[in-house]
Amino acid sequence: MAEKPFQYKKALEEIEQIVQKIESGDADIDELSRQVKRAAELIKQCKSRLRETGNDLEKIISDLETN
Amino acid sequence: MDHVSLYELNILIRNALLATLEQSYWVVAEIAEMRVHHNGHCFMELVEKEGQQIKAKTRATIWASSYVAISYRFSNVTGQHLKPGMKILFNASIQYHELYGLSLLIRDIDAQYTIGERARKRQEIIDRLIADGVFDMNREIPMPLVPQRIAVISSESAAGYGDFMNQLNQNEYGYQLDVTLFPALMQGEKAEISIVDSLLRINSKISAFDLVVVIRGGGATLDLECFDGYELGSHIAQFPIPVITGIGHERDETIADMVANKKLKTPTAVAVFLIETISDFEGRLDEHFSSISDILNDAINETSQLLDLYSNRLFRKGQYLLHTGQLQLERFINLTNAGWKNSLKTHEVMLEKTKRTLCHESLKTLELQAKMMNQLERQLNSVNPENILRRGFSITTINGKNINALSEIPVGAEIMTITELHDLTSKVINSKKRKQ
Repeated sequence: MAEKPFQYKKALEEIEQIVQKIESGDADIDELSRQVKRAAELIKQCKSRLRETGNDLEKIISDLETN
Repeated sequence: MDHVSLYELNILIRNALLATLEQSYWVVAEIAEMRVHHNGHCFMELVEKEGQQIKAKTRATIWASSYVAISYRFSNVTGQHLKPGMKILFNASIQYHELYGLSLLIRDIDAQYTIGERARKRQEIIDRLIADGVFDMNREIPMPLVPQRIAVISSESAAGYGDFMNQLNQNEYGYQLDVTLFPALMQGEKAEISIVDSLLRINSKISAFDLVVVIRGGGATLDLECFDGYELGSHIAQFPIPVITGIGHERDETIADMVANKKLKTPTAVAVFLIETISDFEGRLDEHFSSISDILNDAINETSQLLDLYSNRLFRKGQYLLHTGQLQLERFINLTNAGWKNSLKTHEVMLEKTKRTLCHESLKTLELQAKMMNQLERQLNSVNPENILRRGFSITTINGKNINALSEIPVGAEIMTITELHDLTSKVINSKKRKQ
């Protein structure tokens, strides 16, 4: 099964939902660790995306400056 | 009865006259009749009138021997021959002849008296013409500008008429004048009536003429009395077109001369005057033409100069405009160059600014996201059960359900407690609500 392309915005929303759900105490205990894991994974992915984006931006900006 | 014979009586009368009377007397009388016998003696009948009434009458004689001298002198002084109707002052002796009766023998005539007498008569006529209100009438008619149709009153055979025609026909300008002769007697007793008659004939076709010329041919300068007549003076004065006289005399002017529009001395002078009048007119025309031509030339010159001036001005203006246009164009080009350079610069600046904004904003966004992500991570960590358990908290469930979700916990119920290291199962010994 092909993995869905990563989308930062959706990931962010999902993270917020998860955090909110856990904070409200509505989370099912069975689900809890899985949910946290999911969120942690998403955060990792988002951070990675942010880093990549930062790198890209830096490159783009430095290209702009030199032109 | 005592008596004398007629002869004796006449002798007595003669002796009585001779004894009583002076040798001669100066007498004034009018010549009633006059005739010169072929032998040269002159016989007159002298009268004195009161009005038309004759109140004295006497015969008189001038012997041929003195008549020649007397009449010659008289004509010289008065410009007239002795003739009936004339009033004279004369020196005479009284003769009484037994056969021929009483008569006067005229020895001398004082011509000056006749002149004075004539002048008095003339003055009377002048006064009468003035009183009639006609004296100035003909003189007030303006002379035609170009007198061409001339009615001439003269005697066809008169030398003056010939002179007049020659002068006209041989004029140096070649003017053609239309001359019509109205013949008249120009001297003698019937002259006045004859001239008046000619005037009347001219008047009957007055529109055919510009003016009337009365000329009398050279020769003797005597017998001008007809031109002093009231009738002629009156007709000339009232004539509807100008009358020019050329009667040919050097003496005092006649009444005809006085009332005529113009008086000239000789027929030739009249012709010269006519030609000169026409020539003057032609001269004036020439002058006008010439001044028109001058004016036109001046106007043309002036206009031409003005045109030159304008054309120069126009040329200079054109050059100026061209020059200004070029300068303006250059300025526009410079401005445009500067403009687009400026615009480019502006755009560059804007672009630079945008670029900075872009960099700034994107980095800022990135940073924000990173912060947010860190926050979320911290939040996640704070709710992560693993961490809670690690800090010594536990999770309690009944039948897999969060114990806080149950309103009542029955005594004896089995509860599951999860700690960091252990899963514990326990039974409820006591249950009491803490919070409603």
